[in-house]
Amino acid sequence: MKDSPLILEIKGNSLDDGPGIRTVVFFKGCPLDCSWCHNPESKTCQVELSYDAKQCIGCGACVDSCPQGAISKNHRFFVDRRVCQLCFTCADNCPSGAMSKAGRQIDMNDLLTQVMRDKPFYLTSGGGVTLSGGEPTLHMDFLSELLRHLHQNDVHTLLETCGHFNFNQFEQKLSPYIDTIYMDLKLFDPGEHEAHCGVGNQLILENFERLLELSRSGMFELLPRTPLVPGITDKKENLGAIAGFLKAHGVQQAKLLSYNPTWHAKVSMMGKDNPLADQAEMNAWMSTEDIQNCKDIFHHNGIEV
Amino acid sequence: MGLSAVKQKDESQRITPPGFANQRQEIDVKGSTRLNMLVGLALRGLALQFRIRPSLRKHLKGVDGWINFSLGLCTEAGNVEQYITFADGRISVSTKRPAHVDVTITAIDDQILKEIGSKPPNEVLVRALHNKINFDGNLAYMQLFNYLVSLVTGGLQQRMVDKAHKADVCQRKAAYQINDPGLAQEVRQRRHYRMKGGVNEDPGVKHLDDSYLSQFVLEDFPRLKRFIDRYLSVRPEVDPERITLLTDWYREHGWEKDNAGQDWFPPLRNSLAFRHMMEKKQPIINDQDLIAGTTGSKEITTHVFGDGQGTMLWAELNSMEKRVLNAYTCSRDTAATLHHDIFPFWADKTFREYVRREFDNPHCQKIDDRWVAYYVWKSTGVSHTIPNFKTLLEKGINGIKKDVLQRSNDAGIRDEQRQTLTAMTEVLDGTLAYAVNLSAEASRQAQDCIDVERKAELEELGRICAKVPAQPADTLAEALNAIYIIWVALNNENSDTGLSLGRLDQWLQPYFKRDMSRLSTNSEKEAYIKKAVELVGCFAMRLTDHVPITPDIANYLFGGATSTQAITLGGVTPQGDDAVNDMTYIFLKVAEMLRLRDTNYNCRYHPEVNSDNYLKRMCEVNIIAQATPIMNSDPAMFKALAQHGYPMEDIRDWAATGCVEPTLQGKHFSHTGSILLNMVASLEMALNNGYHPLMRWQAGPQTGSIEAGDFKTFEAFFEAWASQQRFIIDQACTLNNMLGQAHQQIRPTPLLSVLIDGNIENAADALHGGSKYNSSGTSNIGLADVIDSMLVIKVLVFDEKKFSFKALKNAIDNDFEGHAKLHAMVMNKVPKFGSGNAEAREMAARVTEVVHDAYMSTEHYRGGRYAAGFWSMSQHVAYGGLSGTLPSGRLRGKAFTPGLTPHPNASNSLTDNLMDVAALDPKNLDNNLAFNVKLTPGADDTREKAVGTMAAYVKSYMQQGGMQVQFNVVSSETLKDAVANPENYRDLLVRISGYNAYYVDLNRDIQTELIERAEYQL
Repeated sequence: MKDSPLILEIKGNSLDDGPGIRTVVFFKGCPLDCSWCHNPESKTCQVELSYDAKQCIGCGACVDSCPQGAISKNHRFFVDRRVCQLCFTCADNCPSGAMSKAGRQIDMNDLLTQVMRDKPFYLTSGGGVTLSGGEPTLHMDFLSELLRHLHQNDVHTLLETCGHFNFNQFEQKLSPYIDTIYMDLKLFDPGEHEAHCGVGNQLILENFERLLELSRSGMFELLPRTPLVPGITDKKENLGAIAGFLKAHGVQQAKLLSYNPTWHAKVSMMGKDNPLADQAEMNAWMSTEDIQNCKDIFHHNGIEV
Repeated sequence: MGLSAVKQKDESQRITPPGFANQRQEIDVKGSTRLNMLVGLALRGLALQFRIRPSLRKHLKGVDGWINFSLGLCTEAGNVEQYITFADGRISVSTKRPAHVDVTITAIDDQILKEIGSKPPNEVLVRALHNKINFDGNLAYMQLFNYLVSLVTGGLQQRMVDKAHKADVCQRKAAYQINDPGLAQEVRQRRHYRMKGGVNEDPGVKHLDDSYLSQFVLEDFPRLKRFIDRYLSVRPEVDPERITLLTDWYREHGWEKDNAGQDWFPPLRNSLAFRHMMEKKQPIINDQDLIAGTTGSKEITTHVFGDGQGTMLWAELNSMEKRVLNAYTCSRDTAATLHHDIFPFWADKTFREYVRREFDNPHCQKIDDRWVAYYVWKSTGVSHTIPNFKTLLEKGINGIKKDVLQRSNDAGIRDEQRQTLTAMTEVLDGTLAYAVNLSAEASRQAQDCIDVERKAELEELGRICAKVPAQPADTLAEALNAIYIIWVALNNENSDTGLSLGRLDQWLQPYFKRDMSRLSTNSEKEAYIKKAVELVGCFAMRLTDHVPITPDIANYLFGGATSTQAITLGGVTPQGDDAVNDMTYIFLKVAEMLRLRDTNYNCRYHPEVNSDNYLKRMCEVNIIAQATPIMNSDPAMFKALAQHGYPMEDIRDWAATGCVEPTLQGKHFSHTGSILLNMVASLEMALNNGYHPLMRWQAGPQTGSIEAGDFKTFEAFFEAWASQQRFIIDQACTLNNMLGQAHQQIRPTPLLSVLIDGNIENAADALHGGSKYNSSGTSNIGLADVIDSMLVIKVLVFDEKKFSFKALKNAIDNDFEGHAKLHAMVMNKVPKFGSGNAEAREMAARVTEVVHDAYMSTEHYRGGRYAAGFWSMSQHVAYGGLSGTLPSGRLRGKAFTPGLTPHPNASNSLTDNLMDVAALDPKNLDNNLAFNVKLTPGADDTREKAVGTMAAYVKSYMQQGGMQVQFNVVSSETLKDAVANPENYRDLLVRISGYNAYYVDLNRDIQTELIERAEYQL
């Protein structure tokens, strides 16, 4: 396989990632680097070691088995990542699953077998398979083959994307097999986008316009989504600009994703610092009122959210 | 295995196998001798009180004279041994064993013996469950002795119970410190939004414009509202009427021999007693009711069955009003009647004592005495089956009687057959006498009634009861009243266990249609549909007027269990066509509005025949009513039943019995709840070479020792388990067959017999195999725990060799204490049943096959076969409490999963659970199963979305071969709130495993198990 991506998780029985009962495939690796990323384990395209202190029973099997001596209670994140060679001996020896390998290569056939298992439920519920991440479009060829198989087997397909991809490749390799696309529009100001997401948003906005065009020709359904992140994306100016952009393009339906503050622990599991974790607003659920205010901005522009 | 082989094994009792720590304490000789003296002194003190205090002494006498019995009180070590004998008013205490001892109570050590005297009665019973106290002999006398003790120490005992009650309330509040009124409100408000049914979706629905009847709420039916409010506030009362009438008759006419000195023919004797009882029974018509009659003489009656477990209540006659869970009212007069008149007469005439006497205290009953391995339900009753109401409605009793008389005129009929047929006509006449009395009572009430509307209703009831069940029914009101009168009669003949009503939507639809055809205008028709809902509602409420009587110990075995009367709806007709009709939806509406714990609604669903409209309605009712109906798949059940060789037409007419079990309605004496069996007991015995740790007894054959290194392969161990499992099944079936013989002698069932096809033709009582089809159904508990344990042994010990079998056994014996790493591996490194793993599925198939094949190959006393089921009522909690640590990582005392539900950690995905259960071969599940799933509706989701998702789960699962699923639509958070604030949740309905209960009536262990079940979003 010329392009074999890492898969983080295949999650069955999802009711929140598209219509009906769905299976979600999470790909590892993303061209963006969002400061609030809720799936920090999905950022890089390489395998990583994850350590979940909540699951740890403190048996010391990892400490004893590590050939590099990289693991110790004295390390801030338990594992000294500068020394760790990613041999995963610790994960193999961990009885509780606290030490684990984030990302694994899965053979196309195995992946298909796994996602096809729930086909009976897709058919009765109007569900299907959702491809998420990370950013699935980093792996165009693999994704193309996967989508083609699903399409041939009458499984509804849904792509969740950040929109940062090569459109020609997308049009050629993916668009024939996709039923629905959920695309993120996070920050409208190019500078802010670059500051918070690591890249500018010019390509993303251009791609959105092109996708919109394709969707209007009946290729697929397209739903723009904006994640609400306190103090970053939920600012009036940002939401107003996004809503204005959508209105200008005649879009009538979008979705706001309300903020979920439970992601912080995942950053330290990957052995990384998380500056946002100290901010009070980042640790609370948004109030119903705040969410309503955000929605109203879209409603004023004639957009259902 | 024959009986002689069992007896030999019995000699090897209480041998401690190698590697198992002997728990017996070192005996302090001096202290023990002193304890023996103290026990002797206490008994002498008790004897003295009964000698000198007339108020106590009068309790030693029954209506037949002095109540004589003797009882032993010992410790296992033998350091304490005292006997107390009551003989003709004299009481003697001795350290020497008298020639005859009715019952001996043995405590495992001094400490437990002391606790017998110092703990409240319910806690003493819990110690008995845990085999800390064992008994040998007739339990009735142990209960009598406890009753006598309670007369002396009653005040003290009551103070202990009160204290325990208060402590319980505090513990509840402390356990879950939530008090969110929104949670209770959410459940209650679900009924405020109701979907509309589709039009022309079901070919059998002829008259309902909106099949979901969404226009109605409970408040539209004031009398139903009143009935349900009453039901939730009235405490059941011990009703002496039935047992007194029967006992009087037996006293007058003889039990074993009649007054002429001839042996009674049991069916005839019982039929005459039954007729006497029905003639004398009070005819009661409740205020505002549209259905005449009552099961007993109390608002909610609980009958005492002297030949069953009635005498188990002897000890509690003075305390059952005040117990913590499910208290009963028992008036002073009733208590006195039961003590002096009823219990002394029946104490030696029970099914269990018959077996002890006739079969010389067999090994199989000794196992049953210890609670842990199985419970054979025939010690209580045999009537988990369904009578043929179709025949009754079409022929009337007069028509059926004609058939019986005609049969008895046949040439070549034997004397016993003729007597059996006479017994049938006697019980039919008795039932008719009751109907006539009801008719007279209705007319009497009508005369006195000043309310014009009610007067007309009473006059109509008078007319109806004069007509049915004697003659064929013509209207829905007649049909429902006819069925209910027969129901009353059957519940006075048979013990209150799982007798079920069958496919009432099929049987009643012709009467509904006939009524409709007589109406011309739309408004008349609309009014009649409302009336039909109200009639069915009244009928459903009438079915709740009796609950089984249970000693307090049953609160820990069968928490909150009711009579569990199943009604079956939907599915296909005997010809295979869509059976869903107007009455299906009328019953579903009643289920939605009343949210009753009993009746137990079972819906049949055929994914290729029945409509989505019907499927969605089952789901919506389940969401509104929280925990009913049960959903069954027709195609899977057909496959399961086919192996018995029944004709397809009869298979397609199956209906649920008790919880979920299949009966070919009206043709099949199916005793579907005959055996409840703990599968984990045989696993523990396999792990300990036939020795059971909690029973501390070599109860089974020696099949190899882990400590001695006897198991070189996984297959060797699997075979050892299979041998233990087959042994336990064989023992349970042997006891079932013996108890079947006891029933033939003690309680033949002429009325039930005459209402099941085949018995008239064969001129035989159903208990003698006269019915068209015969079988007994069983339930096998702890399946997922056994499968997961086997997987751990196979994968980690034998395949991957992560640790030795001995190391695992050692960790198990220590409840994994000091073995945290091993425990973590066991819990996390092996895929469980329900995870979608192929090896786990294969193991599930193997284990269920062993169980099924053992039953299928066992002979049944009435002919036919044993069927294997996997539901658990609340036994998964009770048996879990009595079972040790398992290789699966489940810790000692922890509940098993309910029915055959996968472990909560098997998968995050409900679909994995559904697919694994669906993959089981229906052939091995021929007494059905309970697959318990807990769902919570999303806060923001519409009803339509929730119903759509639930319907998709059910449809896909059943398309994949799944047989049955039962949902609780309630969150763990709400259940926790209900533990802490029960006053806000009087009617919170939950599904345990097979049956419904009100959550607040359950013991804490069952409540916790429900909270800990996996919770999936809807």
